[in-house]
Amino acid sequence: MITLGDYLIVSGILFSIGFAGVMLRRNLIIVLMSLELMLNAANLSLVAFSRFRLGPSGLPNYNAQVFVFFIITVAAAEVAVGLAILVALFRARHTTDLKDISSLKF
Amino acid sequence: MNFMLPWFILLVPLFSAAVITLFTRRWKALSSAISVVAVLVSFICSCLIFAHQSIRAAEFTWIGIDGVFQVPFGLTLDQLSRTMAVLVSGVGAVIHIYSLGYMRDDEGRSRYFAALSLFMFAMLGIVLANNFVMLFIFWELVGFTSYVLIGHWFYRDAAADAANKAFITTRIGDFGFMLGILMVWMATGSVLFAEITPRMSTLTGHSIFLTVLALLVFCGAVGKSAQFPLHVWLPDAMEGPTPISALIHAATMVAAGVYMLVRVAFIIQASQTALLVVAWIGTITAVMAALIATQQNDIKRILAYSTLSQLGYMVMAVGLASNEAAMFHLFTHAFFKALLFLAAGSIIVMLHHEQNIWSMGGLSRRLPITFVTFAVGALALIGCPPFSGFFSKDAILALAYERNAPIFAVALFTAFLTAFYVIRLFVIVFFGNPRSDVARESRESPPVMTVPLIVLAFLATFGGFAFFARNFLPLPVEKGVTILVPALAIVALIVGSGLAIALYRNRAADPVNIELLRRKFYFDEFYSWLINWTQELLARVSAFLDRWIIDAGAVGGSSRGTWGVGALLRLVQVGNLQGYAFLFGLGVIVLIYFAVFR
Amino acid sequence: MVLFAIFCPILAAILIMVGAPARKTALAAAILTFAAALILLASFGHGQGNFQHVTSFTISPEWRLRFTTGIDGLSLVMVLLATIVTLAAVWFAGTIERYENSFYACLLFISGAAIGAFASIDLFFFYAFHELALIPTFLLIGIWGSGNRVAAAWKITIYLAVGSFILLLGLILLYQSIPPGWRSFDIRALTVAASLGQIPADAQRPIYLLLLIGFGTLVSLFPFHTWAPEAYASAPAPAAMLHAGVLKKFGLYGLLRLAIPLLPEGARYWTTLLVVLLLGNIIYIGLVTIAQKRLDWMLGYSSVMHMGYIFLGIASAGILGVTGAALLMFAHGLSIALLFALAGELRRRTGTLVFDELGGLAKVMPFAGLAFGFGVFASIGLPGFANFAGELMIFFGAFKNGWEMGAFHTFQIATLLALWGVVISTVYMLRAYRKTFMGILSEQWKQLFDVGPALRVPVMLLVGALLCYGFFPQSFVRVVAPTVRTYLTASRR
Repeated sequence: MITLGDYLIVSGILFSIGFAGVMLRRNLIIVLMSLELMLNAANLSLVAFSRFRLGPSGLPNYNAQVFVFFIITVAAAEVAVGLAILVALFRARHTTDLKDISSLKF
Repeated sequence: MNFMLPWFILLVPLFSAAVITLFTRRWKALSSAISVVAVLVSFICSCLIFAHQSIRAAEFTWIGIDGVFQVPFGLTLDQLSRTMAVLVSGVGAVIHIYSLGYMRDDEGRSRYFAALSLFMFAMLGIVLANNFVMLFIFWELVGFTSYVLIGHWFYRDAAADAANKAFITTRIGDFGFMLGILMVWMATGSVLFAEITPRMSTLTGHSIFLTVLALLVFCGAVGKSAQFPLHVWLPDAMEGPTPISALIHAATMVAAGVYMLVRVAFIIQASQTALLVVAWIGTITAVMAALIATQQNDIKRILAYSTLSQLGYMVMAVGLASNEAAMFHLFTHAFFKALLFLAAGSIIVMLHHEQNIWSMGGLSRRLPITFVTFAVGALALIGCPPFSGFFSKDAILALAYERNAPIFAVALFTAFLTAFYVIRLFVIVFFGNPRSDVARESRESPPVMTVPLIVLAFLATFGGFAFFARNFLPLPVEKGVTILVPALAIVALIVGSGLAIALYRNRAADPVNIELLRRKFYFDEFYSWLINWTQELLARVSAFLDRWIIDAGAVGGSSRGTWGVGALLRLVQVGNLQGYAFLFGLGVIVLIYFAVFR
Repeated sequence: MVLFAIFCPILAAILIMVGAPARKTALAAAILTFAAALILLASFGHGQGNFQHVTSFTISPEWRLRFTTGIDGLSLVMVLLATIVTLAAVWFAGTIERYENSFYACLLFISGAAIGAFASIDLFFFYAFHELALIPTFLLIGIWGSGNRVAAAWKITIYLAVGSFILLLGLILLYQSIPPGWRSFDIRALTVAASLGQIPADAQRPIYLLLLIGFGTLVSLFPFHTWAPEAYASAPAPAAMLHAGVLKKFGLYGLLRLAIPLLPEGARYWTTLLVVLLLGNIIYIGLVTIAQKRLDWMLGYSSVMHMGYIFLGIASAGILGVTGAALLMFAHGLSIALLFALAGELRRRTGTLVFDELGGLAKVMPFAGLAFGFGVFASIGLPGFANFAGELMIFFGAFKNGWEMGAFHTFQIATLLALWGVVISTVYMLRAYRKTFMGILSEQWKQLFDVGPALRVPVMLLVGALLCYGFFPQSFVRVVAPTVRTYLTASRR
């Protein structure tokens, strides 16, 4: 049987991969994708909790799943804005390499 | 009307000063007239009050907090103050009229007469005040008007500096005076003379306290009457116009210190130590000033040091516990010293402002009235009978003989010196041949100046006789009169005069040259050195401390520190997006740790 | 009437900023406000210690915010001072070359804020009005000043802001230390609560210290004084007049209004510290002033020095000393305003205020010489001017504190040193006067012209007020003493 724990482990691994990607990748598009991966990892664990932790009446607690919808929506909006910023940045700097985008220095 | 009449003595000159300052500055003749009229009105009122003994004055509250502090403004009208009022306003009136002539060509005449009127207001206030605070107020105002008048020709550095010196030195005396007043108030609960007198007698047994109190109150007189060690301002004050030297620095303001001592004599007499100190300071001042005077060459300076010396005599008398003798000498001194100064002024102005006696000579022929009146004043000053000075100085000498032998010896020696320098002055200025062109071409002064001289000469001659003086003052009682004291005094007089005539007849320059005396015992140099090494040094150190340690150090330091911390923290901003994200994540983990597991 | 006095300048400032003719509106507002103060003075009922002309608007009941204003003896004389100095400052400002509207608006904001602070009975607005005055001061010094003006503007603003912050901390702690049933922002309610002993004694001590440091910084108490000389030296004359003359007094007023009545135990505990600090003001700063070589710096330091006397009166905690302190606050405000105004005129004509470069100016500027002389002698406490009466009462009041026959304790020694301070102030003031106006006139100044007839009016106004209360101090004492008596008896319980 696949238990809650397995889902959580997968979610954790996905989250770590995403986090590592945000920290370590140099291409801005990959960073954005890793960000999405982190969000979806969170979604997975939410759904897993919803499915395996049954409420008092024997039915799953659907609040979590509704919350997942919220996250998907927000993620979509955020990606839209993020990609727009990326395109503008590319037009200004002609690069998507994070090392070259550091004008917020002291 | 009766209640306000005494107030008119004060208020009319004040009103005159205000009117001149505000309105009539441009019309110099009008200003002079207003001032002279004001002082004459004061004089008439003083005489009226003198004649009608029963007039009382109205009083009002200057500051009053119930149960805590009361300072009324009222007038005391006993024989002492009535006499002084007549004296001050009378001599003041004479000098006002003299000033009309002396200051005829001066640009700042309006300013002069306004200040002169203000001075009359303040001096009469001192004389008529009925409590310590009111006395102090007028005391300070007298110092202020003296400053204005000494610095009348303010565009001259010497005058400006002299005015400053006078005010600051008297302020130092006032510092002690105010402290003394505070102590009196705490000890007796009142500032009114009438209330303090009975209460002081209950304060026995606190001898150190009473001594300190007496000496502090005496401090005020030391400053105002230019006693040692605060005497240094008076000779420099000669930078002012000569009528001012006559009025303020001979007849009235400097006498205010003595008057005050007499008024509050009960405070000083409460302590034997204080009396001794007062007497000795007076004696030291008298002899020191007389010594210095023997070597001075400016006619006004000689007279200034002579004033110092005579004031020393008065203070000595107070210290020997005889108010009557002190007041008697003050009274006669006012006449002959004012006379001498005005006569000197007459000489100065007729010699186109020449003041060095070695440029004069033979003036007995050229300025006869001045010569005669000056002679009268001089003889009175050296104590030659039958002039007034003889009686008053003799009273003091008799007192000293009776009560304190060392002081008597010094006082007698001073009398000898007085005769010496006065006759020296007299011989050099009036006899022999004129030593300069201005002396050769001089003429007698106009009547507006010589008439006041004659008036004062009369007073200097007859003022000492008992039948005259008795109406004004209680005369010193002479117990066990011996002929010894007057005889010794006359001997000293003759010896001194003889020596002076012998040394200075027909000379072109001074044969004697004692540097110590010529340089006034180096007091000015000593005080400059002292001030430089205390006040100025402290001031520079404090300024440095303030500018560089407190301001640049502490305040600037904290501002620079804040900048520094900011600069350090700024280094975190490296511009690396992923670095920020890492720190962000780290922070979240820490938060979760603290939120969930603690 | 009180509200009119507060808001007339503020309204005028706003009008000027939107385009009304600057000088005329400002002058009109200043005259109207002065008239309002005179009316208040005339209609004041003597002999009572409580507030009169009280108006109150509730702004927010849940936060207990009420806009309450009113005057008692102490605030009346402070308001009078503020209006007189405002009138003089506005008159002296003349035409400004750049941004005239903003200049006058800033002046009027400061004035309105000062009057509002003095007239507020509500703690919140009391503090708020003072804060209102900080930014206009910054602008005035930074934009229209002279010398090292930008640095001076920053220094004064940040330093005073820090002081206000400490003050705020103290006020908050004060509010918190009162039991919830008695809490209010209304000063009258607070005074009642304090007199009934609602503020615990050991809480009072740290709170009083905070208030002392906070208010002290605002008044340049040693050692928190170094903002003052540079700021006053760099400020344009009207700003210096208003700040040194009026705004500084806010801190002293706050001590008298809040700290002493509400925290008497705290005041008693910290008396010795206060005496030591104020002697620092008098003697140490007095010596520093002697060493100054420029007129503006000297005047700045001298204003710091004179605050020491007022603190002495306040520390003496007796009706005599405190009334004297109030009178000296009033008198000092007027005299320092006069001196700064004339110094500003001098700077305008000669471009320099260094003593060695000036000299003999009384020959070409007789009226200025006379007026400056009045200012100098008022400052050093010549009788006839109100300063003397105030100082006299302070000396008597302070000397009385803790008196024991035959021994000199803290206050007696303090009075002795303060008296010596009078000699020190004489030295530097007369030296300044002599170096500036007396002596030989140098060639370059022979063409100067005197103060014109228009500017003589504010000078005579200031001198007249000083002489009026100098000759008749009882008229002042009558107004203030009942209020002070009420405070002190309340706190003594």
